[in-house]
Amino acid sequence: MTSVARRPAPARHAGAEAYPGQRPPAAPPRSGAAHGPRVRPRAVRPQKESGRVSARVVLAVIAVGAIVVIALWWRSTPDVSGLGGWLTGAGEALGLLAGYGVVVLVALMARLPPLERGIGTDQLTRWHAMGGRYVVSVVWAHALLIVWGYAVQAHTSVTSETATLLTQYPDVLMATVGGFLLLGVGLISMRAARRRVRYETWYYLHLYTYLAIALAFSHQFADGAAFVSNLAARFWWSAMYLTVAVLIGWYRFVVPLRAFARHRFHVIGVRQEGPGVVSVYIGGSRLDELDAEPGQFFRWRFLTRSMWWSSHPYSLSAAPGKDVLRITVKDLGDHSRALARLRPGTRVFAEGPYGAFTATSSGRGVVLLAGGVGITPLRAMFATLPGRLTLIYRASTPQDVVFADELDAIAAARGATVHYVIGSRAELGGDPLSPRVLRSLAPGLDEQDVYVCGPDGMASAAITALRAAGVPKRSIHRESFEF
Amino acid sequence: MRRVVLTIVVTIAGLVALLSFKSHLPTAPSAAVSTTGGTSGTSGTGGTPASSSSPATVPGEFPMGSLAGKLTAGETAVTGHVATTVYGPVQIQLVMRNSKIVKVAVLQQPMNTANDIQIGDFAFPKLISETLTAQTAKIDAVSGASYTSAGYIKSLQSALDNRA
Repeated sequence: MTSVARRPAPARHAGAEAYPGQRPPAAPPRSGAAHGPRVRPRAVRPQKESGRVSARVVLAVIAVGAIVVIALWWRSTPDVSGLGGWLTGAGEALGLLAGYGVVVLVALMARLPPLERGIGTDQLTRWHAMGGRYVVSVVWAHALLIVWGYAVQAHTSVTSETATLLTQYPDVLMATVGGFLLLGVGLISMRAARRRVRYETWYYLHLYTYLAIALAFSHQFADGAAFVSNLAARFWWSAMYLTVAVLIGWYRFVVPLRAFARHRFHVIGVRQEGPGVVSVYIGGSRLDELDAEPGQFFRWRFLTRSMWWSSHPYSLSAAPGKDVLRITVKDLGDHSRALARLRPGTRVFAEGPYGAFTATSSGRGVVLLAGGVGITPLRAMFATLPGRLTLIYRASTPQDVVFADELDAIAAARGATVHYVIGSRAELGGDPLSPRVLRSLAPGLDEQDVYVCGPDGMASAAITALRAAGVPKRSIHRESFEF
Repeated sequence: MRRVVLTIVVTIAGLVALLSFKSHLPTAPSAAVSTTGGTSGTSGTGGTPASSSSPATVPGEFPMGSLAGKLTAGETAVTGHVATTVYGPVQIQLVMRNSKIVKVAVLQQPMNTANDIQIGDFAFPKLISETLTAQTAKIDAVSGASYTSAGYIKSLQSALDNRA
């Protein structure tokens, strides 16, 4: 296993020799204080348990809400008889669920701190994507069942009932437009998942969701049997929509604007870390008040003529300092390429910190498992996590390794261990992260906390291997940056 | 993919379970009306069952509001009680001439939702034409409008009881 370079601490200055072909680190940016390792790490704070909610609690709350919605349908439905009754009843129940579902989906993306810190943006995004497909299907099942059910009840054809609904029923036309918008957003997201549309296209088209929800709102009260003669139901239903709207306005707009004014984020400098990998140093005042933790990320919007209109999530690649933050980005698209050309002084709009990929205070040993550019949040944690630390860094070529100098320096300073696992599967002669290899790289693996960050394929394979190596599920923490 | 199929199956199963609970609840109105189903031949005017021999009526066209002010010589108007249904009140008015029902007007009907109105538009013309044929309150409920039919028949019966 020659290409698995093991570096038990203390190991110094091994980077350049061990990886021929790796560029020597470029000169630090103008402000010398911002050079990576010199970003002064703060002692890691014990995890704040208050203000976080667990996934189980959130799912339970969502389920209870769905049951209440079904109870609302139950109350307003005298009985179900005949084909028309069945179709209409199912259509009404699905309509109520859809009206509730869109609120849940939007709330998951409202950047609520307890959700962001407790569950993590990557997990919330997965729920949102899954739930989104479900809710769009439910919306359309509702529409089709109502048309069919009403047609059966009124003994007319489906086409003429469609026309009646669109022209005679209050606000149904508007709601139909909303339904088509939702369908469009759903289809775009499926294409986006396959990377056939640009991130910005996907992002901005997603905003049509708000329009769709607004268009569909009034038909619920105007036509819904559950609401027409139930003032209390109308009140609580409106309160639910209003609450989520206020939360979105607050956490997605007011809070970031206030942070922008208070912290005055701006670019200090840019540093080339390796081929296609750049670090951006962002300065600001009173950054400690942000309570950012290593492993978290911000959504960054660089206010230049070509970049101001798009915001991108990038993890902190060094422990947050009092007046400087660092992100490191691999050249994956137009945006990350443009980062290399950022000028010092460029103002930055930052939303965050977000993410639940942060230290837990279990007091046990910790293994960090990085794949490729997934090193960035782990690099920040490597400097700050207390206790016994092992970093396993998987990259397919020596050129892909970034931060080698920094990692070695940190390892030496605190007596931690770094293992570089470099090369393709074929070169390494087998699975480079098999349970056996993992156990030999990190003895006592099954009794430690493991943090995994890397491309989805690598991370999933690594988690399977970790489970096979005897690591309990609750000890594995994962951050996916593919959202 | 398996999760998608599972979600769809669970949703459909949940809906079917939910709806079948509702459909098995013993509810009075439709049952009470159905007892008149076999008596469609009792009226002296026509031999065929009322529901199938209804003269063609355009949905939505039936007298609404009191006809008391528009009576011609020899006609009397009889108003039925308000029959309350889960969807709303139903009240009808009969116009009699020589103790025969010649017109039926709808004074009150469920109109909470557009669908209530659409169901009324469809059901009342049928119920009225059945009434004119049968000349009694023993008429068939209109399928898809069992509550409205039950309310109509109740109000019709009270009007017939009042006529003396």
